[in-house]
Amino acid sequence: MWEILVRSLRQGVVTGKSAAPLPADLAPAPRAAEAEIEVLGQALQAEIRGRFRRSMKLRHVDCGSCNGCESELQALLNPFYDLQRFGIDFVASPRHADALMVTGPPALHLEEALRLTDEATPRPRLVVAVGDCACTGGFCAGSFATRRGIEEVLAVDVRIPGCPPRPEAIVRALLKALRG
Amino acid sequence: MSEATGLELHPLESALRGLKQRFADAVIDADRNSMREHLVVVPGARLREVAAAVHREWGGTLVTAFALDERERHGRFRLHYLFSMAPDDAVLTLIAALPGDDPRFPSVTPEVHAAHWLEREMQDLMGVTADGHPDPRPLVAHDGWPRGCHPLRRDFAPPAGISWPPRFGFTPVEGDGVFEIPVGPIHAGIIEPGHFRFSSVGEAILKLDVRLAWKYRGLETLARGQPAARVLEIAERACGLCAFSHALAFSSAVEEAAGVMAPPRARALRSLAAELERLYNHCGDLAGVLLDVAYAVGAAEGQRLKEVVQQAADALFGHRFLRGLCVPGGVTRDLDDAQQQWLRDVLGTVRADVEALVRAATSNAAVMDRLVGAGALGPDAARDLGVVGPAARASGFDRDVRRTHPYAFYRDLDFQVPVRAEGDVSARFAVKADEIHESINLVDQMLLHLPGGLLIAERVVPPAGRAGLGMVESPRGLLSHWVRAGEGGAIDEWRMRSASHANWPAVAIAVLDNIVPDFPLVNKSFNLCYACVDR
Repeated sequence: MWEILVRSLRQGVVTGKSAAPLPADLAPAPRAAEAEIEVLGQALQAEIRGRFRRSMKLRHVDCGSCNGCESELQALLNPFYDLQRFGIDFVASPRHADALMVTGPPALHLEEALRLTDEATPRPRLVVAVGDCACTGGFCAGSFATRRGIEEVLAVDVRIPGCPPRPEAIVRALLKALRG
Repeated sequence: MSEATGLELHPLESALRGLKQRFADAVIDADRNSMREHLVVVPGARLREVAAAVHREWGGTLVTAFALDERERHGRFRLHYLFSMAPDDAVLTLIAALPGDDPRFPSVTPEVHAAHWLEREMQDLMGVTADGHPDPRPLVAHDGWPRGCHPLRRDFAPPAGISWPPRFGFTPVEGDGVFEIPVGPIHAGIIEPGHFRFSSVGEAILKLDVRLAWKYRGLETLARGQPAARVLEIAERACGLCAFSHALAFSSAVEEAAGVMAPPRARALRSLAAELERLYNHCGDLAGVLLDVAYAVGAAEGQRLKEVVQQAADALFGHRFLRGLCVPGGVTRDLDDAQQQWLRDVLGTVRADVEALVRAATSNAAVMDRLVGAGALGPDAARDLGVVGPAARASGFDRDVRRTHPYAFYRDLDFQVPVRAEGDVSARFAVKADEIHESINLVDQMLLHLPGGLLIAERVVPPAGRAGLGMVESPRGLLSHWVRAGEGGAIDEWRMRSASHANWPAVAIAVLDNIVPDFPLVNKSFNLCYACVDR
């Protein structure tokens, strides 16, 4: 463990940085995102300080996604993005949540679970559709076993398109929603 | 290959000869679909005994099994049971026709336990009946599905306005002090939905009933008759974290049906991307196990490494999950010399960091105390259930599609397949750690010998009626896609079985006699997907 800690001290924090930046002459390098996280996160923190008394809690509800959106939501908590430092965290119970982060088209099998989770969430709460599936049904649209977006089950406050949306896109959308 | 060699130890040859001798009256027809796939047609009533012989006597391991609806043209249903004849690079497919008006057959599951979930699925989705199945409960169809709702039948018309309240007959366990713990489908973390019903005494788990299919999206029904590009989009989205493996298996299946091979450079880049996918999955898996034993430093480090590899994938191929890279015929992106050098450097640091992480975790008594002995899956159970991937190799079951049925560029690469005997959480952890090392070796080899030439074959249009099979060693193990072409290169039928589908029944066995609080750890050591199982 000391090996990891010593190396971290030597390297400095990775948070807000790119993993291993491509040299400038190497295309393609869509790598502005990491620096963007800092700016977005601090703006988000300011909003959360004012409106949620410094702490905004999210509850994830998977309604039939491919697990891509889940992976990106998890990534928000890894050392690169480390969203918790801005006052955002994911909680285990809907009863502690300010917002539901819903993924998936939703699948019909999960509709009931989604409704029950929403009922258990205290008001006011935001419903955030994360990913193309949750926004419109995505590539599943037209399947007999899914709906065309979360909107068919719950009123949606925020839509985050993308398949899956990149971690910084999720942060940007949350910020926009809080400002809007 | 599969040509006769006269050697008794040649599994395919022994099986074909044995079938002719022992089941002369049962073999209706024998043919080949490709260099690799051998078809043997048997009567539905004899399917169980023939499958039993292929499995027990000639060493066939079940790859997948599915049903097709051919009532329109031939008045029948058709079953396919695909057996890998490893170490031969050959697949033996048993085919049985069932009458369209009474599709029953003797369940193969009592003899080949790996068919368990596959046959339950066939009953739900195709409405065929596997007589004598030891556990005929619905698998995909949650209660509340209307009667006669079989989405894979070609005349399926979705019932209007259905609601599917989830009710399910769980196996009750009775006795003094036995109680049930229901968990899910909505869990406490950022994870996928499944319902687990534990029957326990005190903390010890007596039985675990796993209820999945919450995410059923009807993908195979959605894909029917669609152009290959659309089915590829669906296949890639069957599973987020194994997206590239799915694209590769699907593309390989279409290429086999079309009789086309991707150019060498494309095949090498496919192997390279497949190893990148294995890397970010395995780094995430190591993190997951460490998170569940509350070893925060290690978990954060594992998540960091996963992110590093995903960012590299993104920078080089334009997507954090490698979507859009693999298409039937080849790949869509190339790597120039500078990018290759950069990738080598990045993976060099990943290798050193993973080694440090594994050293730190395995020398920590508090971590190893939880990992060693937890969730042990014995070698017999692993073979019997047809477990695949790192989970199989951690239980002493040495199987790897890259070696037995080489695809992409693996025939020309040199690599080790790590195997452990213990079958517990620590063995699965160690196998994945060793595989990270091997994956980086493989990427280095490919970067040294990256062949030149085209990235994509010009025309990949399978003739109508041709079928193809793609098998890939995804990060979680054997993944198979089977396609049959329709008119104009469309995909008429598509069947898919993921590694997680094969491994879920093993989780329910591995947790027995463990304590309930160890379930998340045992589950995480398998780290199975739900989306590509539910489909």
